[in-house]
Amino acid sequence: MIRPVLVRRDRVLPATQSLGFVVGILVALVLGAILLWVSDNSPAEVYERMFDSAFMGTDSLSRTLERTTPLALTGLSVAVAGSMGLWNIGAEGQMMAGAIVATGVAMMADGLSGPLLIAVMLASGVAGGMLLMLGPALARSHLGVSEIITTLMLVYVAIRVVEWLQVGPWKDPGSLGFPRIEEVPDQASLPGLFGRVNIGALIALGLLIVFSLAVSRTAWGYELRLAGSSPDTARYAGVSLRRKVLTALLLSGGIAGLAGTIQLTGTEVRLTPGLSNGFGFSGIIVAALALMRPSGVAVVAFVFGAVQVGGQSIQTLGVSSAISDILQAMILFGALVAAVFFNYRIRWTGPVGESSGEELEEPDIAVEGA
Amino acid sequence: MSEEALVGLFVATVQFGTLVFLAALGELIAERAGVLNLGVEGMMTMGAVSGFMVGLETGSAWAAFIAAAAVGALVGGLHALVSVVLGADQVVSGLALTIGGLGLAAYVGRNVVGERPETKFTDLGIVGLADIPWFGDIFFNQPPVVYVAVLLGLAVWFVLTRTRWGLALRAVGESAPTTDAVGHSVMALRSGAVMVGGAFAGAGGAFLSLYMAPGWTEGMVAGRGWIAVALVIFGAWRPGRLALGALLFGFTLALQPRLQSFDIELLGVDVSSISPALLGILPFVLTVLVLVIISWRYRHRPSVAPAALGLPYRREER
Repeated sequence: MIRPVLVRRDRVLPATQSLGFVVGILVALVLGAILLWVSDNSPAEVYERMFDSAFMGTDSLSRTLERTTPLALTGLSVAVAGSMGLWNIGAEGQMMAGAIVATGVAMMADGLSGPLLIAVMLASGVAGGMLLMLGPALARSHLGVSEIITTLMLVYVAIRVVEWLQVGPWKDPGSLGFPRIEEVPDQASLPGLFGRVNIGALIALGLLIVFSLAVSRTAWGYELRLAGSSPDTARYAGVSLRRKVLTALLLSGGIAGLAGTIQLTGTEVRLTPGLSNGFGFSGIIVAALALMRPSGVAVVAFVFGAVQVGGQSIQTLGVSSAISDILQAMILFGALVAAVFFNYRIRWTGPVGESSGEELEEPDIAVEGA
Repeated sequence: MSEEALVGLFVATVQFGTLVFLAALGELIAERAGVLNLGVEGMMTMGAVSGFMVGLETGSAWAAFIAAAAVGALVGGLHALVSVVLGADQVVSGLALTIGGLGLAAYVGRNVVGERPETKFTDLGIVGLADIPWFGDIFFNQPPVVYVAVLLGLAVWFVLTRTRWGLALRAVGESAPTTDAVGHSVMALRSGAVMVGGAFAGAGGAFLSLYMAPGWTEGMVAGRGWIAVALVIFGAWRPGRLALGALLFGFTLALQPRLQSFDIELLGVDVSSISPALLGILPFVLTVLVLVIISWRYRHRPSVAPAALGLPYRREER
């Protein structure tokens, strides 16, 4: 019987880093079209609407960039932890924690002038994200508790704390009994750039550049990556693994906290349980597609911003916006599978003894297929 | 607190326990074979929506339960294909499964949100035993899924520890090359384990949408798939300890919506005055605390996790 096996390529195909992402997009578009088609929608019409609403015209682009900002920051947050092999899958919660602390600070520091208040809120947002990460970070660095589960669990905690705040201590007295929290003061709104885009986009871009350089070009970044890829070597070289784990995770939490605060002061104006809006979870896919490289995060975040804006727009065609979540996951699956085939090729092989000449001169035994 | 409320609390404890136990048992099977599947939340959600929809269509709770298990196995099969057969990163694939599963479930179930089910599981009074005061209601007057879960737990324990299959499955979770050398198919064992695990998670989802919270709403699994993942660690990858852990987590999940109605004081605070939203963090905080405490207690001992957990296997790279 002849069956397919995966054999490692002698040479990895060139330009595969970015190609995986492109293949992922194509795979997602095809699978999404099938899904739309079986549910009696016209894929062409839906995709056209998505494309137009995400890219055509200044307003569309500004909507896409508005969503790119939090996606880039949560993507960076996940990537910073990911560059040493750690998984922060709770960016969603750290966004909330950042926005909670920033809201609290804004309530106390109402009298501050605009720029100062903004600076204080952004800083406290970073602190809030770090605070929520502190437990998982310490548990990971000192006890080896999986950060995957602990960071995720705290998402539910953070969202429920906001639910509690809006019916309890922070309930807006002027809301006529409706459970909601007061808007942040006007002078705290982030200055706009164009359309719906505010300086949060610039902050995100700046951080992406800083971390991109820090991770790939500095001794700190090298130690971070080394600690992730070969802990024993790093320890031998005198790198404190505990400190590296703490730094990477706390920075990751802080960046997510900043993302939440930028959403609060730039887009949402008020703390609600829906403020994080799935950005933290999408950030995981963004970072994974960017192969944990801060430099790649910007590109992937832009594409995902477009997919999300497109997903919103097709609701007017009567198509569920859940399509955009499905597309995001499919892009990742497509890229994962593509990455395998960039590194491996399929060879058809028979049972031992009946092998072709190729296998005689290259006697590596191959993996069994499905 | 009234006697009735207390019995109600324990009845709900067994049911919530069953919910997380089913999903965690499935994850245990996959992890014993060496495959980490972080897609439990997604598989449960897909099970919940497909179970509910099949229930609406056929009017049979059992058909719905089985269909949900089949869908769970199918969704798990995607993880098996990507992470086992093709050997991609298990963490990334599992996370994509959860995010994609939540999205797909929202899409598939968009037209049945808010529909009232005509069918759901009914409590199964076991003749003679259900009438025992207290214990009768808690243990012998539960929906059939509870007893199915107990039987599945025993079956998994038996297969894992007493059969050649189980031996091969545990072996592949400890060292894939060794198992391969003995002549077992690593791919078949691991893919099978992941798919069976998916079936358990899907069935758990159907228990949620057909009995515990009849109906379908987006995000109705609400993190309990993730609690199931944590539960496997708590259970030290053993079905028996897993069952105990499930009851503990079932208790906190059952306690949270009821705590307000209990007239008790804790540390000088009147419990009924605490906001329900704040009580909602209880199961999640407990999960974190339990993981920390376990790691602290066993910090000097070697890990009990399957040695090959999370490691893909490709034969030519051993």
